[in-house]
Amino acid sequence: MLRLRRHTFADDATLMMAIVNRTPDSFFDQGATWAEDAAFARVAEVVAEGAEVVDIGGIKAAPGVPISEAEEKARVVGLVARVRSEFPSVVISVDTWRASVGAAVCEAGADVLNDAWGGADPELVDVAAQFGAGLVCTHTGGATPRTRPYRVEYDDVVAAAIADTVAYAERALAAGVARASIVIDPAHDFGKNTFHSLEVTRRLEEMVATGWPVLVSLSNKDFVGETLDLPVGERLLGTLAATAICAMAGARIYRVHQVAETRQVVDMAWTVAGRRRPKRAIRGLQ
Amino acid sequence: MSPGESRPVALVPGVLALLPEYASIEDPVAELREACLSVVGQLGPRVRVVAGSESGSRVGASLVEAVGSTVAPEDPTGVLAVGNGSAKRSEKAPGHHDERAEAFDAMLRDALVAADGDALRGTDAELAAELWADVGALDQLAGFLVAGHVASVEYDGAPFGVQYWAVSWTLADPSTDRP
Repeated sequence: MLRLRRHTFADDATLMMAIVNRTPDSFFDQGATWAEDAAFARVAEVVAEGAEVVDIGGIKAAPGVPISEAEEKARVVGLVARVRSEFPSVVISVDTWRASVGAAVCEAGADVLNDAWGGADPELVDVAAQFGAGLVCTHTGGATPRTRPYRVEYDDVVAAAIADTVAYAERALAAGVARASIVIDPAHDFGKNTFHSLEVTRRLEEMVATGWPVLVSLSNKDFVGETLDLPVGERLLGTLAATAICAMAGARIYRVHQVAETRQVVDMAWTVAGRRRPKRAIRGLQ
Repeated sequence: MSPGESRPVALVPGVLALLPEYASIEDPVAELREACLSVVGQLGPRVRVVAGSESGSRVGASLVEAVGSTVAPEDPTGVLAVGNGSAKRSEKAPGHHDERAEAFDAMLRDALVAADGDALRGTDAELAAELWADVGALDQLAGFLVAGHVASVEYDGAPFGVQYWAVSWTLADPSTDRP
């Protein structure tokens, strides 16, 4: 069972984690949901599309203007409280690496701390433990938050991703985070070039085999863009192809911009893999 | 029990979608399944299954087990026949539309409702084969129907172009005065 604070999910369930940016400058939406009302409207939209989780972020991943802890809190805490109140059944994840921000959003009702920067703040695990929140343990190859990979190489990127995420998961466990509340994420494109992200996709079943639930964040990323030579805005099909491969391997949570499309692809692949029944099969069985 | 003895008898169609291995998230045959379980539930704890095909036998056995009874070839408390009408009832039917199908099914329905063993035995096997009707168990079914059996039709429809019935035959209560 997967337990994300007040929400539980069966071991064969897949979850759509919809990206909600409270940022003026994230790569995909370019500030479309920067205003709190716009971000809230985005939450309502993705919930209507069936997203089980919303992942609210106040700082874009790429380098840019430094955002203080106070500013990050100002961007996300109020929105979390509003979503908690209006959508009690949706899982609220917050994309942050800072323990202080994690504590503030958990206080406001967040269920998951999505640490895209691989444990850069060692106290984040304590916050997750304190609030009974879920924790996403990512692999960044030791990258500093908000930096781009530059000439990063690995002997074996998958082995490195497994070693680091499992070590992070065990550190979280030791800090008191429930085993059922810990998720690992190879973090495509974080501390990785396109070849690394492709290899992580191709060998994702090795991460799944660790037994920790695996989250993948593929949506419209540069490894898709570079593979197909397509700009942001034209990467949906490539994203979905990679999504199908990760679903086949057994990824459980999908961090996405396009919820409805991803849900269809994941359900299809999950059913091909024999982990889900068809919605309604009668042809030839009448 | 041998043919001619009076025991409750039922008929269900050999619909593969009724089998657990073909279950969907949303049951496409929910209404039919409910009716089948209802008629099978009236057959007592030990049920003999008669079917015209191996898959029909499996469907019958699966329904018997689903109501908590057991399949018992010998000394049964009731008999379950597996069979159905034509699979050529509509354009989208498995066998496409055959204009003779509806009349064929109407005759079969009449014979079932009347518990008319002779009419069931007299089913035109060649036409049945052409219409993709599953009638292989009807001869045996006829043998188990006796005077006094009253039909209760709990399902009568062709939702996918295949004619299904869920019927139970029980003995009319002799203490009941009938006008």
